Amino acid sequence: MLALAWANLMHNKLRTAISALAVGLGIMLMLISKGLANGSIAEVAERMQSVDAELVVLPAQDNIIFTNSAPFPRAFRRFIEKQVDDAGPFADAVIPAFFGQLRMGGQQQRLFGVDPSQMPLFLGARKMIEGKAFDRAVEYVRRLEDPATEYPPDDAPETVYDAFLEPGLELVIDDRLRRVGRLDEQTGQRVPYQIGDEIRVMGRMFRVVGVVETGVAGRVFAPLQTLREIALAGETKSSMFFIKLRADVDPVFAADRYAAALGDSARVELKSDYGVLLQESFAQVNMYMNASSGLALVVCFLFILLTMYTIVLQRTREIGILKALGVTRFDLLRLSIIEALIISVAGAAIGVGISFLAKWGLGVARPLLTVDLTNELLLFAGLVSVVGGVLSALYPGYRAARLDPAAALSYE
Amino acid sequence: MNDELMIDARDVHHHYRHEGVDEPVLHGVDLRVRRGEFVVIMGQSGCGKTTLLNILGLMMAPTRAELLHVAGRDAAGLSDGARARLRRETIGFVFQRFNLLPTISARKNVALPLIIRREKHDAEVDRILAEVDLTIYAHKKPGKLSVGQQQRVAIARAMIGRPDLLLADEPTGAIDSTNAQAVLELLSDFHRRLGQTIVMITHNEHLAVGADRVIQMQDGRFRD
Repeated sequence: MLALAWANLMHNKLRTAISALAVGLGIMLMLISKGLANGSIAEVAERMQSVDAELVVLPAQDNIIFTNSAPFPRAFRRFIEKQVDDAGPFADAVIPAFFGQLRMGGQQQRLFGVDPSQMPLFLGARKMIEGKAFDRAVEYVRRLEDPATEYPPDDAPETVYDAFLEPGLELVIDDRLRRVGRLDEQTGQRVPYQIGDEIRVMGRMFRVVGVVETGVAGRVFAPLQTLREIALAGETKSSMFFIKLRADVDPVFAADRYAAALGDSARVELKSDYGVLLQESFAQVNMYMNASSGLALVVCFLFILLTMYTIVLQRTREIGILKALGVTRFDLLRLSIIEALIISVAGAAIGVGISFLAKWGLGVARPLLTVDLTNELLLFAGLVSVVGGVLSALYPGYRAARLDPAAALSYE
Repeated sequence: MNDELMIDARDVHHHYRHEGVDEPVLHGVDLRVRRGEFVVIMGQSGCGKTTLLNILGLMMAPTRAELLHVAGRDAAGLSDGARARLRRETIGFVFQRFNLLPTISARKNVALPLIIRREKHDAEVDRILAEVDLTIYAHKKPGKLSVGQQQRVAIARAMIGRPDLLLADEPTGAIDSTNAQAVLELLSDFHRRLGQTIVMITHNEHLAVGADRVIQMQDGRFRD
């Protein structure tokens, strides 16, 4: 039966190839959209695990992917620090972060505003490859937080304020972003970022002062205080907090206590659950992408159905011959299913091949995107192709099986 | 049923329904064919020969029949699947237009009945291809063979399973007289040598020469 099915398909190679290609494109669409979503989420979630903390405090209602607001006032941090038991405060460190946006490496990046003094908590075990984890910004922050420091008066020339702010305009980037680099307008080539490169952020030119190993929570860090100064005129608000707990405090217990204390204003989650939170935040986009790729697959398998139906119509006489030779209805249904399976499995193989090609292409064009083609995803694609192949063969197979042999033999 | 009878068909009627109107084709045909007999049914086009052959070959069920025994089995009440299985095990067909599968080689076409039965076939295919003198053409697809060669492939395919009954529907209708003679000699040889039961329909009286019995058919009935 397999040989006969193969011979039938090879008799019209172009039609078979186009059908398999159609399935391949559908499978590719599914694999790339799922792989991109899962890869991006997994990569961000993994990077967040590098922060030396156990809990995250997030805005209660915000989507953690798209939020850039800073709803938490300074008092909120103090409130967190005040949660205590008999042994003292739960938190060894409360680590605020302030989110901004900038464009680097050919795409939008989330800018992590962090306190330079807390940068070691974000670096964890990862080392600085070049430069420093902030340079003059450390002195800028110290000066800013010194009550004796005087701000430039409101009527002072803009250049005075610029000079006041200038030491804080520093960026630390990760090595992956450094290597992706910027587009050189003169040569049209991408060149890696270097220490001293200037990047426009919120209307100000920031300097790259350090490069850290890839894998830290953000790809770009800036002094929290500088961002607040530019965005909020110095208002000490934060986008989120990490909490590094005292060694003897159970994270789950602490999370419950914090959640009870903070009420509806925030949600407290385990840092290890950040991947799940990202998935939840991404649920609607995921749903849309699943629906799109699912629809594309349905169209592909309808294409197989149409192909198989056309084959049945074109081979009516041959089906009559097979019936005359004693092939049963079940055998004909099986033949139809085998043919559809060959097309769909070949299509899946093509789809997987194109997906890896697309992953490579995306890696070249958009190096910061992560497409994660896991074994589970590839297995799922195989399963979809098998189930889709069988389903799309059922009706044409049924039609073939129902043909009257004598009538089929006289079919012109 | 008499064991000697390969076909025992009594009072077979058949009509086609076309646009709500019954078109009778067979009017109470009786036919008994003994095992090993070579029977030729002759008649003009449209007299019901092919319909009768399709009924005897279990390709269609008669509208009504008092009795229809084929190869020792009551074929009247069989399901579609059972008819297919009985056809597979006991009947070989040779058609006017050869009806070979164009997508596979002559060798695969010949092997098909045994492949369908899931039986070993290589040696048997070699043997029968040699008998019909087609060994060197075995790898070719039907479209690359002459009409005479195609009909010999069709005969080899019909005979490879050693069927109890060989049904031939105008087997020389699409080939020239030289090839027709060769085909007829091939069928006669199988009949003589192997005792093959053959029912052949034709409207060419020259082809009836080697038959044990010739039956004339007209307007859906056998003529006395």
